[in-house]
Amino acid sequence: MMVLVLGGSGSGKSAYAEELLCTLAGKSQTTKYYLAAMRVYDEEGTRKVEKHRERRKGKGFLTIEQPVRIEDALFQMKSGGKSVLLECISNLTANEMFTGTQIRPKEAVTACILRGVSQLMRETAHLVVVSGNVFEDGIVYNRTTMDYIYAMGEINRQLAACADRVVEVVAGIPVPVRGVNPEAVPDVPF
Amino acid sequence: MKLMIGGYAQGKLSYVLLKYQLSEDAVWDSVLPEETELRRKQRMHCVEHGVLPDQTAASVEPIVVNHFHQWVRRRLSEGECPEKDVQSFLNRCENCIIICDEIGNGIVPVDAFEREYRERTGRILIRLAQEAEEVERVICGIGQRIK
Repeated sequence: MMVLVLGGSGSGKSAYAEELLCTLAGKSQTTKYYLAAMRVYDEEGTRKVEKHRERRKGKGFLTIEQPVRIEDALFQMKSGGKSVLLECISNLTANEMFTGTQIRPKEAVTACILRGVSQLMRETAHLVVVSGNVFEDGIVYNRTTMDYIYAMGEINRQLAACADRVVEVVAGIPVPVRGVNPEAVPDVPF
Repeated sequence: MKLMIGGYAQGKLSYVLLKYQLSEDAVWDSVLPEETELRRKQRMHCVEHGVLPDQTAASVEPIVVNHFHQWVRRRLSEGECPEKDVQSFLNRCENCIIICDEIGNGIVPVDAFEREYRERTGRILIRLAQEAEEVERVICGIGQRIK
């Protein structure tokens, strides 16, 4: 199954997504992969990565760092059943848009990420994708930033359209947005 | 009147057009149309589609006001009172769908006008939501009925 998990900064979306993936992978007896799209630039980034690593410790995730071309992570996976947590669309979009000397157009970025994620969907038993909710502050930023936000909006919409579930995490509480089918995985907490 | 609210780039307009089977013809962008404008557009629609004008059509086919927040912002920057305009608009055009961005979920801005804009828009939305027969929040192109 494919689940899209949304939430603000510090909402607890990552912890929820990890828990969800563990439940899904446990039921299907598949290997758990954590695809980290964040690029570390400074000490703050290093600390964030450490915090996330610490929380995942002991949960049996195999971590793959994949800042761009997310589908390439498949080359680093073993054969057999896979459950994948992709963290997160905000970083992946920024990396695809701003890597290199020129800023890539939003349409190209959107197409490339959606292609990558759909390839992951095809090759995994379960895929949990984490994304941010960065659309509600009413600020009109410069053109580049608005393009970045627009691309994220488009990617979120397309992923939501093909997801089995869309969940928004608010203060650590998962709020169903769509597609909650209790029959699919009865004991996943909602 | 129906109210649609949601973040930037969440697919609110597409959601409305699809859900209510409306064409782009029904959409007014960041403006609350006057009675005369509504009639003119209706006449143009009739000419383009080769149909006879129907005096009641304007009240049957809902009109869509998109980017409502931009209209509020413009009225405030002109030193006008959007609250009054909204009320008179609703009195003449009850059958409408108002689409507005959620603009209040960020840091409170330092700039006084930006603060005023968010506060007044928020207060107007509360009143619209009270009067609306339906309120939906759109996230990732998905509508959540909240009233």
